[in-house]
Amino acid sequence: MEPIIETRDLSKVYNDRVTALADVNLAVWKGEFIALLGRSGSGKSTLLNILGGLDAPTSGEVRIGGKSVDFGDRKALIALRRESIGFIFQSFNLIPALTAQENVEYPLLFNYHEKAARRERAADLLATVGLADRAHHYPREMSGGEQQRVAIARALVGDPLIVLADEPTGNLDSRTRDEIFDLMRRVNRERETTFLIVTHERELGKRTDRTIELLDGRVVP
Amino acid sequence: MIVGRLIDYLMAAAHQVARKRMRVFLTALGIAIGVAAVVGTVSLGEGIRYQAVEAIKEQSDLTLIEATADIRGGAIQFITPAKIGELGAIPHVEASSAVVREAYATKRQTYLEVVGIDPAGIEGVLQPKFLRGGLLAPGSRQAVLGHDVAETLQRYEGVRLGDTVPILIRRYDEDGMPVDEEVGFTLVGVLQERDDAFDQVMLIDRGVAQELRGGEAAFDGVLIRVDHPDAVFGVVDGIKGLGLTARGAFQQIESVNRLMDVVVLILAFFAGVALIVGALMIVNTMVTSVFERTREIGITMAIGASPADVVYLVLAECLYIGLIGGVIGDLLGVAFSGAINTFGKPFIVAQLGDTFSTFADAEITLITPGLLVLGMAIAIALSLVSGLYPALKASHLNPVTAIRTGV
Repeated sequence: MEPIIETRDLSKVYNDRVTALADVNLAVWKGEFIALLGRSGSGKSTLLNILGGLDAPTSGEVRIGGKSVDFGDRKALIALRRESIGFIFQSFNLIPALTAQENVEYPLLFNYHEKAARRERAADLLATVGLADRAHHYPREMSGGEQQRVAIARALVGDPLIVLADEPTGNLDSRTRDEIFDLMRRVNRERETTFLIVTHERELGKRTDRTIELLDGRVVP
Repeated sequence: MIVGRLIDYLMAAAHQVARKRMRVFLTALGIAIGVAAVVGTVSLGEGIRYQAVEAIKEQSDLTLIEATADIRGGAIQFITPAKIGELGAIPHVEASSAVVREAYATKRQTYLEVVGIDPAGIEGVLQPKFLRGGLLAPGSRQAVLGHDVAETLQRYEGVRLGDTVPILIRRYDEDGMPVDEEVGFTLVGVLQERDDAFDQVMLIDRGVAQELRGGEAAFDGVLIRVDHPDAVFGVVDGIKGLGLTARGAFQQIESVNRLMDVVVLILAFFAGVALIVGALMIVNTMVTSVFERTREIGITMAIGASPADVVYLVLAECLYIGLIGGVIGDLLGVAFSGAINTFGKPFIVAQLGDTFSTFADAEITLITPGLLVLGMAIAIALSLVSGLYPALKASHLNPVTAIRTGV
């Protein structure tokens, strides 16, 4: 079986001078729940952006689901984001003008789903993250933890192979942090969705299947 | 499918618009004022055009047209019996009669414009009303005079109804010298005043005119009576389609239309300056809006929106501004037009004088459904065009930078 994410000698250099990633070789298997550790500036976010098709590597190869990603093909990158990747951000990043339900539906808008199907699917996922009763609330009416739950539902709505989470608990207090972490873990177990979670909190790393640590753009062996 | 996508974009944009109602309203107001200016001024132009055309219709014999020979592509299109048949077959032609035109003179050198017409056809095409006397008899040397020429002859030559007027018909002999033949015509009728060219005309029998010309069977034109004023321009097109020239009171309407086209265009152009200001307001609002939502647009792209999706989302917001601006603009335009009617009319009527006295009790502005649709279309088209730059700007954002640095 092939890894669901594989990188080969992945490097990213900004402005010919700043090396963000250097020869990163990774293999992530389907259903893994992985913490990506490292200090700020160690290249975690860059790696995540490249894996999500938002940024292009300077050299090296990325294989998602066994297929090599062509970073020159914008349409392919959009399709990759639509079909295979779900994003969760540190500051939740919900669309303020939309309700929880509409935020969860939003990615499906670009995926050519029928309205009824979108609505049903979003409602399902809101129930999964325990927010069925908050469906018609706007982000500003919800707590940080609730907003992040909505964001998790949004990341899952397209049924992605991989969820890429960039410091998903960074803006939350410790109790909510645990809740969100447990929620992601539960989704991972129930749906076998692969999670790659960027964090700088080592403590959380202990509760994952595996940790990958980056230091100055290199994987710590 | 495509409609479904469009509705999706509109729904998503509706949320954004609803969030900043005041800003959208104020921006739409900019477009609305431009639209109102265009609707108001164009309605004034159209209203004046309408009144002028109505005045012409009332004052002249609009449904009488004369088709004459024309030169097309270097060849003269003669009035042949076949052409006369085709003219009669044009829809809405109620009656037609071929005529011969001549120029005669009296012994005292009063110029006489002569129309030789089939007496049986006079009633149908000219619908004559007689001041004195009546119709001429077929085949006889009798004449009916138009109002003005009858007055002239009576005043200067003492010609009265029943008199036989000696008339000189100029011919040329073998050496090319002019020879005047004297022919007597008996005056049997005088027409009432018509306010058109027939006031100056002497009507005689067509056969007699052709015989005096030397037995030629050719015609110079065909008088045509159209059954309804609204059908006149259709018949004119039909006549032109046969390669002939059309003349008549309708030409005044054509002149008015040509003039008013220019006037309306110039009025609309100046009013359109307000539209440019409105469009710039939209550009400004949407650029601001895109800037404020940099991060949001980055997120949208990260979760699967293509640059095209982003363009459509921004344009959908502009569409709302256009719709709102169009509706308010049309309403303001109607109000503006009403104001011109109430306050501007006395001034305009005073300036135009008696000729256009009909204006006094009529609306001088005219709002047609087409004008309101035009206002709407301008508002929508302009808002979409104005949204193009902000939309493209949004779609070119780099998602990574947008998410990291966005407001």
